Amino acid sequence: MNFLAASIESLGAKVVGWFTVGYGMFAFLAQAGLLLLEPATWNRATFDVVVKQIYFTAVQILHVFLGYALVISWLIITIILSTARDFGLTEFASEMTIRVLVLELLPFLTALFVALRSGSAINTEVALMQVNNELDALAHCKVPPMQFEFLPRLIGGVVSVVTLAGLAGLLALLMGYLAIYGMNVAGFEPYTRTIAKIFDFRIMAGLIAKCALFGLAVTLIPVTAGLETPKKLFMVPVSVLRGMMRVFFAIVAIEVVSLALKYI
Amino acid sequence: MAAVSALPDDVARVALDLPLRANLSALDNIALIPLYQRHYGAAESARLAQAMLDQLGYADIALLRDPDMTPAQRFVAKLARALILKRPRLVIDRPGAMLYDVPYPAFIRQLAAQADMAGTWEIFDFSWNQALYKE
Amino acid sequence: MNKLHFKVGLFAAASLVLAAVFIAYLLHARGFFEKTFHLQLAATSADGVAPGVPVVFSGIEIGRVTTLGLNENGGIIIHTEFLGRNAKWLKENSTFTLDKPIVGGAKIRVDSPDLRAPALPDNATMLLLTSDISKEIPALVERVKAILANVEYLTRKDGEINATLASVKTVTGRMTGEYGVLEGVLGSPEKARAVTDSLDKTRALITKLDALTAKTDQWLFAQDGMAEQTKASLAQVRLMLNDAQSSLKKADAVMANAVEISANVKDGTQDIAKLRAEIDDAVRKANGLINEINKKWPFAREPEVKLP
Repeated sequence: MNFLAASIESLGAKVVGWFTVGYGMFAFLAQAGLLLLEPATWNRATFDVVVKQIYFTAVQILHVFLGYALVISWLIITIILSTARDFGLTEFASEMTIRVLVLELLPFLTALFVALRSGSAINTEVALMQVNNELDALAHCKVPPMQFEFLPRLIGGVVSVVTLAGLAGLLALLMGYLAIYGMNVAGFEPYTRTIAKIFDFRIMAGLIAKCALFGLAVTLIPVTAGLETPKKLFMVPVSVLRGMMRVFFAIVAIEVVSLALKYI
Repeated sequence: MAAVSALPDDVARVALDLPLRANLSALDNIALIPLYQRHYGAAESARLAQAMLDQLGYADIALLRDPDMTPAQRFVAKLARALILKRPRLVIDRPGAMLYDVPYPAFIRQLAAQADMAGTWEIFDFSWNQALYKE
Repeated sequence: MNKLHFKVGLFAAASLVLAAVFIAYLLHARGFFEKTFHLQLAATSADGVAPGVPVVFSGIEIGRVTTLGLNENGGIIIHTEFLGRNAKWLKENSTFTLDKPIVGGAKIRVDSPDLRAPALPDNATMLLLTSDISKEIPALVERVKAILANVEYLTRKDGEINATLASVKTVTGRMTGEYGVLEGVLGSPEKARAVTDSLDKTRALITKLDALTAKTDQWLFAQDGMAEQTKASLAQVRLMLNDAQSSLKKADAVMANAVEISANVKDGTQDIAKLRAEIDDAVRKANGLINEINKKWPFAREPEVKLP
């Protein structure tokens, strides 16, 4: 009986814990969103920080990222094409390639890439700021950290994931064309028709919204996880671990929901 | 020492537990206040911060970050940040913890002579250090 | 010059340019810069047609169904949309057929036999034909098989007269049944107002008659001695076919009626004339077939059925 009560209690504690985390996250997001509406936010200084964030999140890794997208796209395209040929489904190969790569795989991998590189860095930094009392010092100076520390990170994350996924998608479209039709313009018309068939307004809006949500997830979750850190240095790795776990779950959840909305 | 951290809002504190933002230079740390509290422009804020450092005689630390500074330089940066807040009282909380590489009463006195500030400066220190302040 | 800002600026500019180019390309691909060409298709049934069903020409998609609706007479109007650049494949003599393959989604097939024909005007109305004979052929074949089985049983050499006569009864019964079915098949257009269905059924009937003649030809001339009763029963078959012919005429009248109705659908008269031609053609073919059967069969001059 005691055991039952204890397990119910621990379940309750977990549910309450998840609820608190979720509430904290959305409250933070709402705060950031409200700040975004204030004209005072849109000044040169915030813009500079955003530029710096985009540099660190997207520009700095651009060549590595594009190389990686190139290899992955080439592999997947080759696999799909040869399988389609084996089963006599060549006519579906280009559509399949675009759907798998541009709509699903590349945005997902971009989000993972940015999460592993920038998300973990943001989580560590915010956790260290919290543990080091830097946030308290800012509070003492009555400087809200949201505007110059957190909001630029969120904006930078969203812009970076959308742009990187877009660039990787364009690269994959180009690679798909080259793999299917080779170095000539003969396939331009059928390929254009396939692209026109896939990318209607709903799909484009969905793709951009998905990438933006990915970008938000890989920055918002690490920031809030970092802010939750207790003021003990040894809690920093724990905070990063928790934050990254949540980022992973969030990315998968966004992908699953987007697939469900698209195909069910 | 709970009394120090429970001081009212019109007090600017310089203390060990109020560090500089680690990934910003001294200048940026100081410029944050006019920039985000008073909504000055970026260039104007940087100019104000640089003027404050010049006044204290530490213009050369502007581009250094927290880990690259000596304790005295770090103290000056924190002091500049507290001064630019323009609050009527300035409290220096246990300077011995921050200024362990210089004879700090004289050092603070010299800084106080350079800075022009309308309000009062107060130093909170341990009673056994009282002897140090007697010239 | 700030190197970091320069790099971010370069990145942003390149991304924006690429995004703009891609969006322009996408808008071009989806025909945003072109006039959209509209076409209405009148059909009897919207079975299998839904918004998004492709309109294909030579196997390549050139347009899509946008909406479905009813007109005042209860006929179905299917609205389709084409890109301006694809409108050139739609000619006044184009035929539109609803294809419902056993595997895969339905599609509307466009056949333009003469590409030099004048182009269709925007917002024209054409008739949609149904071609899912895939469903009707097996049923017809089954019926024909049943008749043939009985006829073969009837004409076996060692057959007793009583048994044969019994068979004649059965066959006659069946044939009446079959005839009934035929009548049902041919009569149904009276209920269905649109034209395409009846036309289609006419075609199906011809298919059936073709199959029947082929088989009858075979056994008719292979066997020389036939019982009088058997001949009589075959006369019944001929009678049935004659009836079928008159039913076809009835169907023709119905179609004339249907054409009148579909004329209300839209003022486009050119397609209705074409449809008339097709119906006439179908009826003429059926007539020819029945005449041929009459010629070939040796008992053509004995229309009466004698039963004990």
